[in-house]
Amino acid sequence: MFGRSRSWVGGGHGKSSRNIHSLDHLKYLYHVLTKNTTVTEQNRNLLVETIRSITEILIWGDQNDSSVFDFFLEKNMFVFFLNILRQKSGRYVCVQLLQTLNILFENISHETSLYYLLSNNYVNSIIVHKFDFSDEEIMAYYISFLKTLSLKLNNHTVHFFYNEHTNDFALYTEAIKFFNHPESMVRIAVRTITLNVYKVDNQAMLHYIRDKTAVPYFSNLVWFIGSHVIELDTCVQTDEEHRNRGKLSDLVAEHLDHLHYLNDILIINCEFLNDVLSDHLLNRLFLPLYVSSLESPDKGGERPKISLPVSLYLLSQVFLIIHHAPLVNSLAEVILNGELSEVYAKTEQDVQRNSAKPSIRCFIKPTESLERSLEMNKHKGKRRVQKRPNYKNVGEEEDEEKGAAEDAQEDAEKAKGTEGGSKGAKTSGENEEIEMVIMERKLSELAASSSLQEQNTTDEEKSAAATCSAGVQWSRPFLDMVFHALDSPDDDYHALFVLCLLYAMSHNKGIDPEKLERIQLPVPNEAEKTTYNHLLTERLIRIMNNAAQPDGKIRLATLELSCLLLKQQVLAASGCIMKDVHLACLQGAREESVHLARHFYKGEDIFLDMFEDEYRSMTMKPMNVEYLMMDASILLPPTGTPLTGIDFVKRLPCGDVEKTRRAIRVFFMLRSLSLQLRGEPETQLPLTREEDLIKTDDVLDLNNSDLIACTVITKDGGMVQRFLAVDIYQMSLVEPDVSRLGWGVVKFAGLLQDMQVTGEYDDSRALNITIHKPTSSPHSKPFPILQATFVFSDHIRCIIAKQRLAVGRIQARRMKMQRIAALLDLPIQPRTEVLGFGLGSSASTQHLPFRFYDQCRRGSSDPTVQRSVFASVDKVPGFAVAQCINQHSSPSLSSPSPPSASGSPSGSGNTSHCDSGGSSSTPSAAQSPTDVPTTPEQPPPPPHLPDQLGTGREAEADAKPSRSLARGPELETAHLSPSLLPAQQPTISLLYEDTADTLSVEAPTLVPPVDPHSLRALTGRPQPPTPATAGTETPDEEAAWAEPEGPAEH
Amino acid sequence: MTYAYLFKYIIIGDTGVGKSCLLLQFTDKRFQPVHDLTIGVEFGARMVNIDGKQIKLQIWDTAGQESFRSITRSYYRGAAGALLVYDITRRETFNHLTSWLEDARQHSSSNMVIMLIGNKSDLESRRDVKREEGEAFAREHGLIFMETSAKTACNVEEAFINTAKEIYRKIQQGLFDVHNEANGIKIGPQQSISTSLGPSASQQNCRDLGSDAGCC
Repeated sequence: MFGRSRSWVGGGHGKSSRNIHSLDHLKYLYHVLTKNTTVTEQNRNLLVETIRSITEILIWGDQNDSSVFDFFLEKNMFVFFLNILRQKSGRYVCVQLLQTLNILFENISHETSLYYLLSNNYVNSIIVHKFDFSDEEIMAYYISFLKTLSLKLNNHTVHFFYNEHTNDFALYTEAIKFFNHPESMVRIAVRTITLNVYKVDNQAMLHYIRDKTAVPYFSNLVWFIGSHVIELDTCVQTDEEHRNRGKLSDLVAEHLDHLHYLNDILIINCEFLNDVLSDHLLNRLFLPLYVSSLESPDKGGERPKISLPVSLYLLSQVFLIIHHAPLVNSLAEVILNGELSEVYAKTEQDVQRNSAKPSIRCFIKPTESLERSLEMNKHKGKRRVQKRPNYKNVGEEEDEEKGAAEDAQEDAEKAKGTEGGSKGAKTSGENEEIEMVIMERKLSELAASSSLQEQNTTDEEKSAAATCSAGVQWSRPFLDMVFHALDSPDDDYHALFVLCLLYAMSHNKGIDPEKLERIQLPVPNEAEKTTYNHLLTERLIRIMNNAAQPDGKIRLATLELSCLLLKQQVLAASGCIMKDVHLACLQGAREESVHLARHFYKGEDIFLDMFEDEYRSMTMKPMNVEYLMMDASILLPPTGTPLTGIDFVKRLPCGDVEKTRRAIRVFFMLRSLSLQLRGEPETQLPLTREEDLIKTDDVLDLNNSDLIACTVITKDGGMVQRFLAVDIYQMSLVEPDVSRLGWGVVKFAGLLQDMQVTGEYDDSRALNITIHKPTSSPHSKPFPILQATFVFSDHIRCIIAKQRLAVGRIQARRMKMQRIAALLDLPIQPRTEVLGFGLGSSASTQHLPFRFYDQCRRGSSDPTVQRSVFASVDKVPGFAVAQCINQHSSPSLSSPSPPSASGSPSGSGNTSHCDSGGSSSTPSAAQSPTDVPTTPEQPPPPPHLPDQLGTGREAEADAKPSRSLARGPELETAHLSPSLLPAQQPTISLLYEDTADTLSVEAPTLVPPVDPHSLRALTGRPQPPTPATAGTETPDEEAAWAEPEGPAEH
Repeated sequence: MTYAYLFKYIIIGDTGVGKSCLLLQFTDKRFQPVHDLTIGVEFGARMVNIDGKQIKLQIWDTAGQESFRSITRSYYRGAAGALLVYDITRRETFNHLTSWLEDARQHSSSNMVIMLIGNKSDLESRRDVKREEGEAFAREHGLIFMETSAKTACNVEEAFINTAKEIYRKIQQGLFDVHNEANGIKIGPQQSISTSLGPSASQQNCRDLGSDAGCC
């Protein structure tokens, strides 16, 4: 077909084909047009090609020869186009014409050329032409044509499209008629066109848009969105089996599209358009459909409703995406302080009575189609009457007054902000919209006054008000519900959404921070914060505690979000403002998580890999709430099976491996949270820190190290001479340092734990060695950083090397496992099971292979290594302890033991000691009291208290979790028989004294339960360390339990 | 003209890399590329033949709409294929690929087929991005890669059609839910709409797709 048309060109105008880009050729084409004014079956192809060629010449002319355009205008050639179009000439010609126009307007670069084309209203005639829109292709070309035109809109060109006198703006009104076209690309194009129109800063045009089209368009749009929401809700309600996930995620994505579109309009910041839009969104959609669905389902009768989770989910999306201050403030006001139901019921009756009562908040279908509304408005043109189809069934006879009122409203809005202006408008007529606006204003006034009232109250009262969920004087049904949903005992289905909503509101830039502060919601990055919402905090901690239970039904995403929100609540610039009672509860949750992880700890290799892998994936992919709320899968009730394809963090674990992974993550999250709240740095994780490792080009002192010469043949055939050296965690290939005898330069270093060694099949002197890079995500393919054959001088050396590597690998992994065990307060695994390992380990401690060129870099990892080796040698705990203490307390500055390169150990010990007297928040304080009651029973090491504290502190820096031991005894009481109560167990003191290395699994730990009552019941036991000083000033009764009884020695 | 499937494409990339020219070159061959005429279009449709099936390609250029987040988002979501275009004579257009790709991956369905196109391969003398670099980028991100020239029409056909083939392959593997139009794929109407051939449909020339490997 294409060939045909080309051959036609060639055949007809062979001689001119060379010069088709010329005025002459245009003249010829004009001639063709004049000869073929009627479209027939015969000349159709000719006409199509003629039109196409004209386009080409015009573009060429625009770029090269202005006379072409002059000719086109002079001969009024556009008329021919229009004429052809009006002949119902069929799809073929239609599409060609539309494409021609597209190309024309797309490629015209000179403004004058553009003005020429637009100057005589032909384009508008084409826009309003009734094409056959049922034809998919015509529709697509047509809407693209409108879109292309809209991209050309600016303050000058807009006059070619918008006619102030006739109130015509065909480009816009024709486009918005397709706002709900079934074809998504068409809808997108319509939205592009509207945005391009709103962007043009032309007051007259924007007034027209608002007065004549805004209400019909926005009301229909809002209804369209609402219908999608109802559909989405139905989809959620009827999909327990997760069958419609595809459809659901489309609907969710669609809703996001809507919100982004609304936000795009709002951020163009055309004020009076925004007013109408906000009003519609608020009163027709968000309040009547979303917010009212937050209430208990039995209320509300016939009104359309959506389910609670869906409404929370959608509201979170709203707050995450839309930041337009007036809109989000009004919405937040109602959610946080509102009593919508009364107003609501009243207005609903009003609607039925068809009275002019203002705030009609309901989600109802517009009474007439958008097209008809636009038509009506246009015909009422000059009277400037606005048809407002969806507010109610207004009688036609009302239009007159409404028209007058409309003008008044305009004035009112111009005078927006000045109270007098709007009041005047209010009295001027019963125009609904004015009153709607005023209604909003009243509401905010009300809010303002109430906030004033509240500002007079003290913080304590405030928190009491916030805490008192069924507050007598202040009924906040929605907020109540929000908090109530956090309490759901069975699962975290609702809780996750509530957290998201709170997060979204607190991060919304449009919301007045005061609004949030009034109910003490967390405002991120707030400089001066003295109080926080206890009610919320307690619930967050409860979630954390729940998550740390073996059969906890809290998903990882919920936990992570809880941690985020908690940090936001209590971390102020000055540090953590959390009350001790809460801090202690949190500590309890952390203990539980250690417990949980310990339960899954196995001496298997895989645990190490999982542990490190989880840490990596957690730190590399921190939670993004916006992404979380884009995922439709969380809308369905939480499930455990991975068969749904739902991301691991958004569902419950399935099977042992996933339960282990989950336990590890919970452990990480709560550990990091509690460290952060106490302002302590993480010194133990990740297990392998980049800065502790030997790197390429490091220079090492290799005197007295075991070095094995070998030839390394890489996969690509490269061959180098190297010395193989095995360190604790790494193997390295070095070459001699030319400047210093006995020193070597590292040419390659790789982790032993990720290494695979196999003997070469046919060469007893050679080994195949592969080292994989630790994967950043569990899904990516392992990437080998070394893949080479090592050839040694003889088979003996080969065997030695192989054994050293093999043992090194096992040992490296053991070492890390021990560090994990230490983190989890577990005893060190006996090592004898590994043949020859004891030898290896002692070897490694006796002469740590290399001294570093710069020593300090290695810092903190070594002591653990040393000590764990040490501990493993002596399997009698008491003995080990004694030795440990000797080791640490006497030469506390001896080189391997300083916990970190930077801080001096004795210094940190002192600090912690002071802390224990003063504030309660430090872990060492937590530690010290517990050991006091037990000291009498502790036979071997009776050091002075300060010394002991110092050592404890040191040890703790090595193995962080030991601090959690402090509360250990209590925790276990919940699980252990009375005979195992801490006080009766002589070993406890040992357990405490020793750092994690020698702990037994039975190490008793106890978490202070979140529930204050059960806590009180426990007061007879050795108390958790929360010291006296901090708790006293809080009148909270819950704080009372923290009053110390045990550690009076301080 | 009936079709078995309709695939919606989008074209993305920095301004001035020749997106709309590629589009016009593919959808309307009658516009002969000539030296002194740069001409493009923002929308086009064309029929191609893949494995004996008539497939209609609808291509939407997203140029000029980047400032609206809602629009880009929706476009990505509604497309089955995307042509990610850079200009081999301007390195910065290559450097921006990562952010384009991030956007695309974030908003689109995971099945969207993305083809990386280094355009203006006719301007060899002014080349600023090596072919190998394009290849490496494509390999790293799992894209199909091709260098094209909208000017000489070199590889333009192949770029669009190979993308279509890949989408078709995914359909046959069951990766795309063809009944869900949100994916940018539509099943054709059962019966012929009309017998007359639209101009865009008329240009479709079921050439031998496998034959032309590369002229650049």
